[in-house]
Amino acid sequence: MVNLNAVLLISFALFSIGIVGVLIRRNALVILMCVELMLNAANLNFIAFARHSGSVSGQAFALLVMGFAAAEVAVGLALVVALYRKRDTVQVDDINLLKG
Amino acid sequence: MEHFIETIGRNMFAIFGVMALGGAAVVVASRSAVHSVLAFLFAMLCIAGCFLSLEAEFLGMAQILVYAGGIVVLFLFVVMLVEVTKAKEKEVFQLQSRYAIGAVLLGVAAFAAVFRKVIFGVASPQALKLPENLAQGLNVAQQNAQAVSRGLFAGYLLPFEILSVVLLVALVGAVVLAKTERV
Repeated sequence: MVNLNAVLLISFALFSIGIVGVLIRRNALVILMCVELMLNAANLNFIAFARHSGSVSGQAFALLVMGFAAAEVAVGLALVVALYRKRDTVQVDDINLLKG
Repeated sequence: MEHFIETIGRNMFAIFGVMALGGAAVVVASRSAVHSVLAFLFAMLCIAGCFLSLEAEFLGMAQILVYAGGIVVLFLFVVMLVEVTKAKEKEVFQLQSRYAIGAVLLGVAAFAAVFRKVIFGVASPQALKLPENLAQGLNVAQQNAQAVSRGLFAGYLLPFEILSVVLLVALVGAVVLAKTERV
């Protein structure tokens, strides 16, 4: 049986990498991928706790999270494509219409 | 040799986990978006391995199907659509990345302080156990797909149905957002 603390450490590191990516990258596509990394870190925790408690709810919920992640990616990528059509860029720094 | 293989088998989760972390680091650090997507694919496959080693077989396979089969392909399409004509990014990272990394490191340190208490503290957490009547018939390890489906459709039917509506809305929304102005 896998040590729960090991899972928590790995998923914590994965989440941190995701947050760093969202905060420091300029490319909107890479930012979307980093959001996915964070969702997967959460999924890892769900499954670890499900394994640890012998209950199946965590796994069912991880499945739901996976579905929502797919929906999020579809909408996010559509936004990126629309943005590229309008502004000819996917760098988030160049999108500063609302900047005062 | 056999001892070696046995050790690897016991530490499968840690191996996959560390490889996933490496893939995630490459996603953040690599200069070209295509490399990022490929590293993302690698990280997702490693996370599927983590799921398998946590005895969530159904979710591991679903992870491979959904991410490697669907999401990564979608990402690749958009990267090809968007990045081909562009020159390489001049600046990969944001201007304020120094502050961002500092803030995240601060958060990591705070979390590590809590975590240290959990790991090295006197009373490490005991395994949670469901009451017998709830756990009955839900042996996660043996019949994973059956157990997951029972848990999903018994306890989470409404969220499941809402998810299907959300997926439909996302589908329509993606089409509306990405289509060209002239019809």
